[in-house]
Amino acid sequence: MAKKILSQEENSVLKSMFLRSHTVFINFNMVKMEANCFTITMAPAIESIYGDDIEEKKEAYLRHQNFFNTHAVALSFIAGLAYAMEKEKKETGAVDGQTIESIKAALMGPTAGMFDSLFFNCLRVIAAGIGIGLCADGNFLGTIIFILLYGVSQSVFKYILINLGYVYGTSFIDMVFETGLMTSLTKSASVLGLIMVGAMTAQMVNVPLNWTLTVGQTSVVVNDIINQIFPGLLGVVLLFTLVSLIKKGKRPTQLIFGILAIAILGALIGIF
Amino acid sequence: MVTIALKAAFVYYVVYWLDTFILSWQCLTRPIVIAPLAGLVMGDFHTGIVMGAALESIFMGISAIGGAIPADATTSSVIAVAYTILTGASIEEGLAIAMPIGTAMSSFGGLLTPLWASLAPFWEKLAVEANPKKFLIVNILVSFFTMPFVNAIVLFFAVAYGVEGLNSLLASLPVWVMTGLGAASGMMLAVGFAILTSMIWSGDVAIFFFVGYVLVKYAGLGTVPIAIIGAAIAISLFMSDKKLSDLKTSLTNTQVNVNDDEEDFF
Repeated sequence: MAKKILSQEENSVLKSMFLRSHTVFINFNMVKMEANCFTITMAPAIESIYGDDIEEKKEAYLRHQNFFNTHAVALSFIAGLAYAMEKEKKETGAVDGQTIESIKAALMGPTAGMFDSLFFNCLRVIAAGIGIGLCADGNFLGTIIFILLYGVSQSVFKYILINLGYVYGTSFIDMVFETGLMTSLTKSASVLGLIMVGAMTAQMVNVPLNWTLTVGQTSVVVNDIINQIFPGLLGVVLLFTLVSLIKKGKRPTQLIFGILAIAILGALIGIF
Repeated sequence: MVTIALKAAFVYYVVYWLDTFILSWQCLTRPIVIAPLAGLVMGDFHTGIVMGAALESIFMGISAIGGAIPADATTSSVIAVAYTILTGASIEEGLAIAMPIGTAMSSFGGLLTPLWASLAPFWEKLAVEANPKKFLIVNILVSFFTMPFVNAIVLFFAVAYGVEGLNSLLASLPVWVMTGLGAASGMMLAVGFAILTSMIWSGDVAIFFFVGYVLVKYAGLGTVPIAIIGAAIAISLFMSDKKLSDLKTSLTNTQVNVNDDEEDFF
């Protein structure tokens, strides 16, 4: 892939995105997790690409307010890539919103696993090992070395990866666009995205049914029976019920408070 | 006690809040960073540093006190340093006090999870206004008063007036409230996933959702192996599409040639 020289505007957008991408856990919640950080990080890109086009801007902001969760460093890479995709969407129309969603969804799960083991389980242990040795003798340098090795290094990686994500994202899309295979790429991206969303749903969505039916002498754990039919069936049913409610135009507020009410009522009558 | 509590809560709040904005993730909240800072605020930097080393080893699982590792590294570190400096207690004694406070704090935090989740539609509405400056500012303002703030207040009361009050408050709540809120947190994520799914769902490839689902539930695979399998499927789909389109172009080309020949022939 050819090396791309970034314009001044692109550079300043990327720099601003890099700084904003540090807010990974800002107002983290159990519905959309790191979505707020992603919106904040994408804001300079969206403003620079869509300018005065308020409708497209709204659409883009909504797109990047979707559920998002990965490791702090990986977030920068995906944001860089998303910048490249948004730019292609506006300039050439080669990429559509669904593809951007799919690629984000496809990348967040595996990058979370990779970067967690790299940074949290490896680099952190090394940095703490060095730091502990110095701090045990009352040397504050130990803390500073820990911050440099574990904290500052992550920031450096964030800076490198946000640029890499943008540069390689752009040249990759250009390459595919020239071969005229963009629809194939869109389809492949949706396939991978859906596989990963399915996997993440299976891992994270949990309907903790704790209901034992007692008929005479025998008691039956309802959840076991359901899971024998299909493991986690209730989670799938819940998800697709919500999908169909969203398609019918129900607001997320209604869904969230509905779930809260059902959970508390369920707990009251003893099925959770 | 009130002074210890105030200082501990102050250090906890500032560091926890700041960790959201600089140096990536869970760097400043580690014992090796927060313990020296707590020491500095409480007037004994040296003890803070030395305890930072000991606490970091405990929480990394290198060494455990009495075979148990306390739940929350940040809370426990701040409280342990505060007690050691201000009362001359040992690390063990400090951790013994910190542990029940950390546990009470996390169960209290669990109560509030649905509250933060219920803000999600508000954030979505704010984002769609397409006013990035406002979105950022409101986010920062709200972040002052969410998790770190609530935790710091609970920490303050638990240290100053004993954790018994908090525990009896938690115990006085009916069990179904706690289990209900816990169950709700697990199910609320489905809303986020449902919005995401409805955006990338398209008829002819929808079935692949279940491929990922089954790979987790039946094969117990993690996201990295599933991503590799998924990428293999996606790439082979892409390649077969490419072959089809290549074939189509070559067919059209030959057809054009054939037509040319025919015209010549007739």
